[in-house]
Amino acid sequence: MWQVIKSVLAAFFGVQKEQQRKKDFEEGRPMTFIIVGLLMALVLVVGIFLLATTAAE
Amino acid sequence: MRNLAGVVAAIGGSVWLTRSALADGWNMPLGVTDVSRDIHGLHMTIFWICVVIGIVVFGVMFYSLFRYRRSRGAKSAHFHENTTVEVIWTAIPLLILIGMALPATATLKEMYDAEDADLDVMVTGQQWRWHYEYLGEDVSFISNMSTPRDQIDGAAAKGENYLLEVDQPLVLPVDRKVRFLLTSDDVVHSWWVPELAVKQDAIPGFVNENWVRIEEPGTYRGQCTELCGRDHGFMPVVVEAVSPEEFDTWLAERKEAAAREASGVDREWGMDELMTRGQKVYESVCASCHQVDGSGNPPVFPALANNPTLMEERDRHISTVINGVSGAPMPAFNSTLSPVEIAAVVTYERNAWGNETGDIVQPSEIQSQLE
Repeated sequence: MWQVIKSVLAAFFGVQKEQQRKKDFEEGRPMTFIIVGLLMALVLVVGIFLLATTAAE
Repeated sequence: MRNLAGVVAAIGGSVWLTRSALADGWNMPLGVTDVSRDIHGLHMTIFWICVVIGIVVFGVMFYSLFRYRRSRGAKSAHFHENTTVEVIWTAIPLLILIGMALPATATLKEMYDAEDADLDVMVTGQQWRWHYEYLGEDVSFISNMSTPRDQIDGAAAKGENYLLEVDQPLVLPVDRKVRFLLTSDDVVHSWWVPELAVKQDAIPGFVNENWVRIEEPGTYRGQCTELCGRDHGFMPVVVEAVSPEEFDTWLAERKEAAAREASGVDREWGMDELMTRGQKVYESVCASCHQVDGSGNPPVFPALANNPTLMEERDRHISTVINGVSGAPMPAFNSTLSPVEIAAVVTYERNAWGNETGDIVQPSEIQSQLE
């Protein structure tokens, strides 16, 4: 699981190790990445929203 | 060593050139409000960040081009990806952007905080003039460009404030928080005064907010900055900032004048006074489209002189001025002209340039139509 989160974070940042990418494609299942990706996108949006609300006060 | 000296001299030279260009009025003004100084500071900070990035990036690029050129036997390296370098060149711009976003957000917050204003001014854009209303004070007027036609046509020497002068400037007090409520009667305009750091769209059907607290008395000039039609370049903004005491005196005078104007509705007006007043209104408000001699600019702006429809249909003439023409550039003047002004201008149009209808339109008649 931690591995999936790390890969999604790397995708958000835009940089991933080639070795790690290969490993993900060999071992992981697409569905896990899609679900974790969507969840983390939601977390990102909520995080930015909270940050903006705090900053606006 | 000599190369290095050259590079330093080149960088020093460009920085010096930039600095003198900025000092010569090429740059945005420092302005006369807290917010305008903050914006100027942001602009300069970001400008110098860009200069440094430019020097570093192009420096490394040109150095590499020169140092590792093929004639010196440089061999290209063949490799794919380098995660460390990629992380660095992603993280550094991210940090720079955050560094710029923090002060920018603080300034935006300040700009949008229009609460607790001492004075509210409604600014309405109209093709092609500005209408100002001091909310709750019963004072409102139209501000037209006052540059003579001769200067525009090149028949006379251009004045010092060419295209940046108006018949009635917006008078504002210094050291008081003034809130602007901006909207438009027809198309999108934008009210821009660089020294006040206000550049806000005036959109029909919307009310935008902005505010200033001017610190120095003076005359500040600006323009409409959203392309709004034929005379977009001919609707300047002039703000006259005066001391609070002077402002209160001015406002009291204007209020008195407005009260006199309102009382003018009740009395009978004579032909001569209506014609004199009407000509003034016509030349300030109507002549920009229908021309001073009433010849218009057909087919968009019909001629008023010797116009049989206008002469025959008195009621339609009045309602056109009051309500405008939907689908055409003719605006409604019910909110921007007083009943006396409308009566005077209609009387003038029906009796000037050979339109000898002899009609007199009384302000009281207009008043009853407005109600």
